[in-house]
Amino acid sequence: MRIIPFIIYLLIIALFKVILQDLTTFYGIGINITALLVMIVAIYKSEIISLWFGFIAGLVLSAGSPQHFGAYVITTAALGIVTYHSRERLNLDSLYSRLLLILFGVIPYSALILLINNIDGFGYLFITNILPSAIYTTLIGWIFFLIKEDRITLFKIKSLF
Amino acid sequence: MNWISTQFSRHGRYINVTAVLIFSILFIFGPSIITEAIDRTILAGLYYPFYKIENFFKLMVSQVEANDQLRESLMILSLQLSEYEEIQRENIRLRDALGFTPPSGYHLLPAEVISVSGYKMSMSAIINQGINDSVFNDDPVINQDGLVGRISSTTPEYATVQLLTDPSNRVAARVASSREMGIVKYKVLIGMILDNFPLHGSITIGDTVISSGLGGIYPPGLILGYVTEINRDESETFCMVKLTPAVNFHSIDEVFVLKAKGEM
Repeated sequence: MRIIPFIIYLLIIALFKVILQDLTTFYGIGINITALLVMIVAIYKSEIISLWFGFIAGLVLSAGSPQHFGAYVITTAALGIVTYHSRERLNLDSLYSRLLLILFGVIPYSALILLINNIDGFGYLFITNILPSAIYTTLIGWIFFLIKEDRITLFKIKSLF
Repeated sequence: MNWISTQFSRHGRYINVTAVLIFSILFIFGPSIITEAIDRTILAGLYYPFYKIENFFKLMVSQVEANDQLRESLMILSLQLSEYEEIQRENIRLRDALGFTPPSGYHLLPAEVISVSGYKMSMSAIINQGINDSVFNDDPVINQDGLVGRISSTTPEYATVQLLTDPSNRVAARVASSREMGIVKYKVLIGMILDNFPLHGSITIGDTVISSGLGGIYPPGLILGYVTEINRDESETFCMVKLTPAVNFHSIDEVFVLKAKGEM
């Protein structure tokens, strides 16, 4: 039963890649859902789970391009384990520290993925695409943490109207 | 076994990291058959349901678009069809009019009715011929069925026709078979009548009533209507004859202005 949430996370990655990515991307700026999920798992779960979830998430993310399996897997697993160790060494009680961790985790991860895909114009894309996408992903992470910590609840939303 | 589990719990982190590294190196440098098999498994297990959903919505959207296009085409085609039907009807009317010959001494100036006015019954119509086409006041207007009326006013481009159904319009008439005369006029609520017809004049139901040519406006022989009812009241001097107009004033479309030869 403990594996079901992780299967759901993987299904979310697949769902996002197939259907939601186009709907949530504006001017090339999109949510890096894989990085966000891997980092959230690393913030709340153990080192081994973070490592293997990163590994599997890397496989799911690179589905369709098997030549990149190895690079994706190692990068995503590294993101999981680095996030875990950062969490261990930093005080992440504050919401903003978690958001900063996500922001500075997504930026190098997206840059590495860009390098793996060997896309021209890295510098330009880093400024116009990776940085805004990392901020966008952090905003989604912020909403996630607000919901998880009951700072946004259905009751509170209802009370607005 | 005990040694293995002890080693695993003591060095679990390194073993897991090493396993991940070995798998990654295997994926990078190993045979592509392994990565392709994993790829197919992931695509079939995780992605396939979402691709199906995506394709379903794409198909739905494309069908809605196709439906809109078909509806638009249908509208255009139905408009074209109604246009063609109107052209066909006009063609039939013009074919009927083609064999129509004017009274002797006259020639026909074709015109099209562009508007009709009147309360309950059409009383006047505007045609697309005017002074510029030598159409003048009191010129008779006919169609293939009979007398329609006369020109009552003109402008350079258009002319107004006072129809027979205007109660103020009078036509000197005679019964075609007996040659006895009367005056055809139109009475509101009663319809077209042959007035001033002798009480014991020779007339039967179905007789054709034509213009006599005595009024000076209409040439003789133009069909005005057909007798439908005859009321002979002995206390009256004239009998009351009801007529059905030869022309259907509800559907006048193409008409001809009669011009005496040499007028144009």
